[in-house]
Amino acid sequence: MTISKILFSTLAVSALALAAPATAKIATGSNVADMTVTDSNGKMHNLSDFAGKKVVLEWTNEGCPYVKKHYTTNNMQKTQAMATADGAVWLSVISSAPGKQGYKSGAEANDWKTAQGAGSTAIVLDPAGEMGRTFAAKTTPHMYVIDESQTLVYQGAIDDNRSANPATVKGAKNYVLAAMDDLKAGNAVGESDTAPYGCSVKYGS
Amino acid sequence: MRKALRWMEISLRVLILTLLTWLLAMPAFASQSIPVDTGKVTASIVSSHDSVAPGQEFYIALRTELDDHWHTYWRNPGDSGEPVQIDWTLPEGVTAGAIHWPLPRPIPTGPIVNYGFEGTPLFPVKFTVSKDVEPGSVITVISDFYYLVCKDVCIPEQGKVSLPIAVGESIEDIGWRTEIDAALAASPKRGSVQGAITKTGARLDMSFTNLPEGNFSKAYFFPYEQGILGHSDPQIVTRGSDGLRLTTSPDYIWDDPTPKTFDGVLTYEEGGALKGVEVALAVGPALDIGAVAAPKAVIGGVTLWTAIFGAFIGGLILNLMPCVFPVISIKALSIAKSAHGERAKVKREAWLYTAGVVATFMLLALIIIALKAGGSEIGWGFQLQSPKIVAALSVLLFVVGLNLLGVFEFGSSLQNTGSDLTQKSGAAGSFFTGALAVIVATPCTAPLMGPAVGYAFTAPVILTLLVFLALAIGFALPFLLIAYVPKLLSRLPKPGPWMVRFKEILAFPMFAAAITGIWILTQQAGANGAFIALCAMLAFGFAIWLFKRKGALGKALGALSILAAIALPLTVTASDASIVVTSGKTNAEAWSSARVAELQAEGRPIFVDFTAAWCVTCKANEIAVLNKSKTQKLFKDTNTAFLVADWTNKDDVIAAELAKYGRAGVPLYLVYNNKSVSPAILPQVLSHDVIRDAIAGE
Repeated sequence: MTISKILFSTLAVSALALAAPATAKIATGSNVADMTVTDSNGKMHNLSDFAGKKVVLEWTNEGCPYVKKHYTTNNMQKTQAMATADGAVWLSVISSAPGKQGYKSGAEANDWKTAQGAGSTAIVLDPAGEMGRTFAAKTTPHMYVIDESQTLVYQGAIDDNRSANPATVKGAKNYVLAAMDDLKAGNAVGESDTAPYGCSVKYGS
Repeated sequence: MRKALRWMEISLRVLILTLLTWLLAMPAFASQSIPVDTGKVTASIVSSHDSVAPGQEFYIALRTELDDHWHTYWRNPGDSGEPVQIDWTLPEGVTAGAIHWPLPRPIPTGPIVNYGFEGTPLFPVKFTVSKDVEPGSVITVISDFYYLVCKDVCIPEQGKVSLPIAVGESIEDIGWRTEIDAALAASPKRGSVQGAITKTGARLDMSFTNLPEGNFSKAYFFPYEQGILGHSDPQIVTRGSDGLRLTTSPDYIWDDPTPKTFDGVLTYEEGGALKGVEVALAVGPALDIGAVAAPKAVIGGVTLWTAIFGAFIGGLILNLMPCVFPVISIKALSIAKSAHGERAKVKREAWLYTAGVVATFMLLALIIIALKAGGSEIGWGFQLQSPKIVAALSVLLFVVGLNLLGVFEFGSSLQNTGSDLTQKSGAAGSFFTGALAVIVATPCTAPLMGPAVGYAFTAPVILTLLVFLALAIGFALPFLLIAYVPKLLSRLPKPGPWMVRFKEILAFPMFAAAITGIWILTQQAGANGAFIALCAMLAFGFAIWLFKRKGALGKALGALSILAAIALPLTVTASDASIVVTSGKTNAEAWSSARVAELQAEGRPIFVDFTAAWCVTCKANEIAVLNKSKTQKLFKDTNTAFLVADWTNKDDVIAAELAKYGRAGVPLYLVYNNKSVSPAILPQVLSHDVIRDAIAGE
């Protein structure tokens, strides 16, 4: 029957055209969908602008003791410096909603960055939590490494000592630097998925 | 009264102790250390004994009184946080064991779920005094403790307290002994419960057997380790006659070679109190939990046999749903026509119809399998999420309507010689009716079909085909029965001129269905989409007129027109400004898992309506129940939030959420009451009473 044939080919073709990967949670090893984000200077960035470079994402919240642990010990700044010296783009993301702990205006974020001597490329302001939810960011800090082909190669904790005590930074294994080293050596990232630790991201509604 | 007395007692003890320590500068013996206020928590260590004998075992517990609404964390803190930690400094001859953890509770904050404690949790630890410790001496136990305490913000707090205990005669402190014993009794222990954990794609099933007495309707599993399951994903309870299954989603640990077992705590209720048991989950095939009880409220997973049975009965009932009724009527009419004549012909037609139904269902199953293999999140009725298909279907329904009215006849194509398409006695006619019936049936979901189709969407390929086959057989069965049971056949009305009238009347449900298609299209593709589909109808109408004319030019133009009518629907694209179907539902807001968590944190009951504009069953429920003032009043009186998840267009987040509940399509109705983290799943055909009971948690 011609009509039924036509109908079914229409069905099949259109149904196949619908096929698209799920975006609910980004699996390690899969491509990161493009999105537009705004930094503390009001500048817009597309994640795809950074294709060809490594990108490190760091979820942060100034008031969180675990974030403080890594900034007071200069551990985060050191990690930022090493990663960016390696040619990586470092985005610190603030997903705290207005009125919640860690929320910052652009100017406040810039002041904080200067005061901390942070070496991040930019601070992304995500008060609506869109970027946070896309990456399923749970904690501050929560770290992500994206390689040159925009594939997510690491997500999880900054290191293997899940404490808020600044004394525990020493001797801890820094997963982000380990991932960067693996990429540099042309290897697959050894530990590509770890449980993040810290305060919860202070999302709004 | 007892509490007040205890407080007086504590205050007095503290006062006297402080005075004694200061004034006499010598060890004082008691069973509670001086409490320290670390900020949001007041902490002390308490002992089951005032004085202990050499060689004895006793307990010392860290006692923490948390400010209201602040919480500390269990050994696995969940999505964020850090566990309570205690370091002991002990004299020689005294050893301390591990913490006997209290039962955790899930604590949701926004989209994040933590495992922890509120109120006054007690952390008992077993101590052993060596036989060699001299009677008359004093052992001083020093506790360095640390905890992260959170409400909307987190504060790490720590403290250090010491407790001197005399060695000599064993003397209990009845008050603390009782409190410590209660905490030890509540702390989960390894029981006889057997457990298994099974990962199937994006689904994680935990099955438990040898369960103790108790109510498992709100059972929850807390793993000791991180990375096993998504802490913030609900755990769907399925109770079997011999056990229990919790269905949730896996986390990252499964990417690597995994250990053989995972330990954790299963919590449940007994006599209104929360209980817990430690279970080792063996990685591997699920345990047989026996027959699954009738789905009063909660049902997640289904077995192969219940899926096949559900599909078969669901397929049978699907014949009575409004979507297919007009198409089926045409078939019935055609059978009635020959019912009183050639029996062989009727049988042949019934089989051809069945073949059309089965082939179409199988084709649908294969498309689904192919798309799923390609990583797409799709579900029942997925093809209707494409505005191209909705447009094509609307045009097709319009054409069938014209055909029924007798405007034109199919046959040796459009040459006025054959009989019309669906009434045609030839093989193609019967086969096509079967195919058409299946296509128009997809916007409807019959009772029992939901879990069965949901199962089919997650099952291995061969089982998917099996479930769809059962659905197809159930769907086609009525016609086979008519053909093979002579009594039924003779009951059909005798053919006559009424059949022509009836056939013409049936054109109008077809037009109505086409109009519904256009309405759906306006939501998916805006006015432009609807315009294109209507133009396609115009082109088809024009083609019919041209074909009735003589001459090659007319035929050629007609063919062009037909091509246009077929090609136009393919140009329809989804518009960005698609409308959310919340219209007609007062106080409805859009669904998101974050919003659910937020409302749960507020302690409000929530009704979630997973729906789509093309879902006829959803619309029926809206008219019959959801939009009724009685139901609206119920939501208002119980302060129930009404969330709508609109699946009219393709949406992977909603598809993933449906999959969590073992479903592949809409409708799905969930009720979260404030008695449990996991929602109750309501039947697909709603009633006011079912909603009321679910909100009340009955």
